[in-house]
Amino acid sequence: MQNPKRSTLGWFWQAVTGALLLLLLGVHFIAHHFIAAGGLRDFNQVIAYLGNPIIIALELAFLVAVTIHAMLGARSILFDLGLSAQWERRVTRGLTVVGVITVLYGIWLIYAILGANSAVAFWAR
Amino acid sequence: MKLSLPENQKLRFLRWFDFRSWRVGMLAYILNRVTAIGLVVYLYLHLVVLSILTGGPTQWDPFVALARSPFFLALDVILLAGILIHGLNGVRVTLTGVGVGVGAQKTLFAALMLVGAVLLLAGAWKIFMG
Amino acid sequence: MALNVTLRMFRYRPDQSARYDMFKVTVPDAANVLDAIEQAWAQHDRALMFRHACHHASCGTCAVRVNGREVLPCIVPVKKYLDGDKPLTIEPLKNFSLVGDLVVDVANFFQKQAASGLVITRPTENKLEGKPIAYDQGLDPASVETVPFNRFENCIECGICLSACPTMAASVKFFGPASLAALERELDKTTDPQRRARLLELADDEQGVWRCHSAWECTETCPQNVRPAEAIMALRRRIFAQRFGFGK
Repeated sequence: MQNPKRSTLGWFWQAVTGALLLLLLGVHFIAHHFIAAGGLRDFNQVIAYLGNPIIIALELAFLVAVTIHAMLGARSILFDLGLSAQWERRVTRGLTVVGVITVLYGIWLIYAILGANSAVAFWAR
Repeated sequence: MKLSLPENQKLRFLRWFDFRSWRVGMLAYILNRVTAIGLVVYLYLHLVVLSILTGGPTQWDPFVALARSPFFLALDVILLAGILIHGLNGVRVTLTGVGVGVGAQKTLFAALMLVGAVLLLAGAWKIFMG
Repeated sequence: MALNVTLRMFRYRPDQSARYDMFKVTVPDAANVLDAIEQAWAQHDRALMFRHACHHASCGTCAVRVNGREVLPCIVPVKKYLDGDKPLTIEPLKNFSLVGDLVVDVANFFQKQAASGLVITRPTENKLEGKPIAYDQGLDPASVETVPFNRFENCIECGICLSACPTMAASVKFFGPASLAALERELDKTTDPQRRARLLELADDEQGVWRCHSAWECTETCPQNVRPAEAIMALRRRIFAQRFGFGK
């Protein structure tokens, strides 16, 4: 066994995150659209849903998996524009930054939503 | 290597979608790419829309009411179709890549799409009737 | 009986813009498309550039696109395409530099073939469908191995799979289906660990097997049943086995 090359890992992670997404997206879709009454949660239902730490963990895992999958996929598609080696490096770096920002945004969003909830709880009191 | 044919130089990416071949593998590849682009666009739309939640119930609840309209539900069905096509085709690519079903990729694709169609019908039923 | 057929021929010279010329030719009933192209050259335009040699799908020289699909015109009958007065559109392979008319530059392709270790003459076959062949008793396998016999390759290096491959269309940097298939064949043949490692290194590259988008057009179009897509999948499995220590 040797250290896998980056090229192998790209395909490998795309497959692994893809398999994870089948699972997590199933949970995500069912939880949000099939279990929730009327197809979507209203605000209070969202807060109650996010009150469960397991759900937060699952949603974060989903966010990380989907971002990695999307960035690797976008990279592969952009490379199919027939880029120069220099542009290929730029695309790789650029998408890494976009991916990190996406995950950070998602984490911030959960905090902000729960924060808004505490504000609601405050005003409701 | 420089391609000198004029059609080769402009809009090369259009060749991703060379529809002349309706063979199974090419069709799967085109479908995979179209749904991939659609799903990435949707992912970011979705993340932006979720920021409405930070505005609390006064902003989110009217949006949810809108999203429960038949038009948005129809969009949900299209989304589900994209997810199923892309996800199940990914199963084909992954399996053949690790040596499973290499000799039967067409049958594999057809079977997976059949599963997708059943799941889509069930999902659409649930989205509209559930 | 004779067939009257119109050829809509792609014409190109580096200093001119591309165009299509119509050539009406008459060929025997049993003629193949290459015969019709030769008739166009003989009767209408001696400046028509096209390549051919063997006339029986052995040399891989004449590959073109007929009505958009890649074929060896030497073995496909004109009759197959006849549809009323509709002309047959004859075009060069895609994804190669054009030299002129139907002739494309295959230098880059052949360089990749050489890199992948495919040689025209090779030691005699020691495997049949992946399984070692049992030699007759009394025959020393070692002596058989050292005698260079004619090739036992299916691949005739016609370039058809490169023309049909959507990944090749997107980027000529891709190592390509034919060369990856050749690499897989070479890996099958060689037992030298260093050479195997070098070949795997070549396949395990961003522009190697991981670039393939699994459209399987190469396997579908190959006139010689080389099955490059299957070879690419086999290479992926080999690489996984080597890098991660699982699989085959």
